[in-house]
Amino acid sequence: MAAGTGSRMSFFTRICAGWLIVIVLGAIFADLIPGLKDPNYQGFLFGDGATNERPSWNHLMGTDNNSRDILARIVYGARVSLVVSMTAVVMGSVFGGFFGALVGFVRGKTDATIMAAVDVILAFPGLVLLLTVVTLLGRRDLMVIAAVVGFLSIPPYTRVARATALAVSRREFVMAARAIGTRKRTILFREIIPNCLPTLMAFALVNAAVIILLEGALAFLGLSVEPPTASWGNMVNAARVDLTINVWPAIWPSLALVFTVYSLNNVGDHLRRSKAVRSAAL
Amino acid sequence: MVGFVVRRVAALVAVLLAVTGLAFGAMNVLGDPLFNVVGFIASVDCDAVAAGEVDDISGQTAGGRGDCEVIAEARREHHLDRALPIRYGYWLGDIVRGDLGTSFKNEMPVREVIGEKLPKSVLLMVVAQVIAVGLAVPWAVAAAYRAHRPFDRASTVGTFGLVAIPSFALGVILFYLFVVRWQIFSSRYDDTDLWSRLRSMVLPGLTLGLPAAAVYMRLLRTDLLTTLQEDFVLMARAKGMSDQWVMFRHVLRPSLFSLVTVFGLSTAGMIGGSLVVEQIFSIPGLGRALVEAVIRDDFPIVLGGVVVVATGFVVVNFAVDLLYTLIDPRVRADG
Repeated sequence: MAAGTGSRMSFFTRICAGWLIVIVLGAIFADLIPGLKDPNYQGFLFGDGATNERPSWNHLMGTDNNSRDILARIVYGARVSLVVSMTAVVMGSVFGGFFGALVGFVRGKTDATIMAAVDVILAFPGLVLLLTVVTLLGRRDLMVIAAVVGFLSIPPYTRVARATALAVSRREFVMAARAIGTRKRTILFREIIPNCLPTLMAFALVNAAVIILLEGALAFLGLSVEPPTASWGNMVNAARVDLTINVWPAIWPSLALVFTVYSLNNVGDHLRRSKAVRSAAL
Repeated sequence: MVGFVVRRVAALVAVLLAVTGLAFGAMNVLGDPLFNVVGFIASVDCDAVAAGEVDDISGQTAGGRGDCEVIAEARREHHLDRALPIRYGYWLGDIVRGDLGTSFKNEMPVREVIGEKLPKSVLLMVVAQVIAVGLAVPWAVAAAYRAHRPFDRASTVGTFGLVAIPSFALGVILFYLFVVRWQIFSSRYDDTDLWSRLRSMVLPGLTLGLPAAAVYMRLLRTDLLTTLQEDFVLMARAKGMSDQWVMFRHVLRPSLFSLVTVFGLSTAGMIGGSLVVEQIFSIPGLGRALVEAVIRDDFPIVLGGVVVVATGFVVVNFAVDLLYTLIDPRVRADG
């Protein structure tokens, strides 16, 4: 990870970072992993295995109530979490980062207007807003979900970037740049935005964790990507029906979520401390 | 002080107007407003019906009013031929008078549906917050009392873990352990009296309250450690007061401020969580009604629910803000 400039990573943080790398690589190269089963192959339809199987050598995590391999579904399900959280990070940091740095630097009416809009959007509980917009759009494929989540990520990033830009604008090198008559746009792109990036990066990791939980909750309610596409949230939801028979189909995706969210928080926390910056919002 | 409250109330009203405006605007811009009022018959082509080219769907059933009459009436009643800001004005007027429209599903007024469901969700929030604060305060005191010792370190790992568990996973696991495995609680929501209602709220309350407790505990522990370094604590100890007395009487109160602030913000997380938790534990609350309405495209309920939830959240944060200034005079002086 890019934390080389700060304090060294503890052993535990290294494990967290390692887990994140494994998840990302696994999701990207899922098709190439030798021995990984087809996530939508329902073995019992072909007399090949049963539903709700216990873990075995054939199915390392067992099978779900449609006799699909859980390990494969977790690896492929990571794609949904990854695509949604990456879209949120990219859209949030590009648009939110730019707007926030801009209004934190120029202040005035633009600042008041944009921040009022941000406050109004943040006045809605995240899941409720996401739920409403997804319903109104009426389509639930991965691209729509990712776009909506990405769009809704812009306000929190704007808030963080603005707070950082406010602090950076008062630094001596910005004063110096102003004193020698540098154009405002140059100051924004050369001084303000680069100095907001470390904070935004640390925030991006923590926010990615929030987004993964949000998408998980949406999927759990059956309102994210449509089945049979695997996502960690809809796996827990599907397993809920058969808890009396086998609890493992609910445990595995939950564990995957917990490890991922924990790792994102841990690495994000490490980045934040090593850069000696405080995230100012959320 | 009066001027301060007046300014805050004005800001509250402005935010509420913007929030309801956004909800109403989204419903009308992203969705088809006619459909959002009359449901699926909105797709009937009235010009073709009038020309006799196609049949009127509900007009054919005995004694039923024609679709086109219903549509024309809905257009009149909801001013659908007017501009969006004017419609928002009419709609806001209806809301202030308590009229939120009627549900598509059973023609029940949205106000009645929400009036029936909301108290259960509010009770759930209260139980969850009581659990969260009840756990967090003693936990934080114990951890701060012996900071950086094994118990404190274990608490750090534990709280990070609790924050990382999604509410739906925690809910399903608690459901499995306490309902399926050990059968301590029933899977049904028992509404006979307050006692059984509270009993039904224990597991859902824990599901929402445990992660919140972890957040509160982290904040309170940090603030306690800061306060413990103050001179007046040293003074109290020098006078020979017991550790417990110093901790609860001198250190705890001035350390509670961040907790109060986050208390309001965590309500948002709990509202989101209640959508999921009410589903798992079959609580017939607002969260469940909202999710069901979303699945059935029951827009009047969705809009009413979203407005109520967002308003509740804004008002809770407003109250917390006010409370905060009452506890801590320094904020009032600055603000």
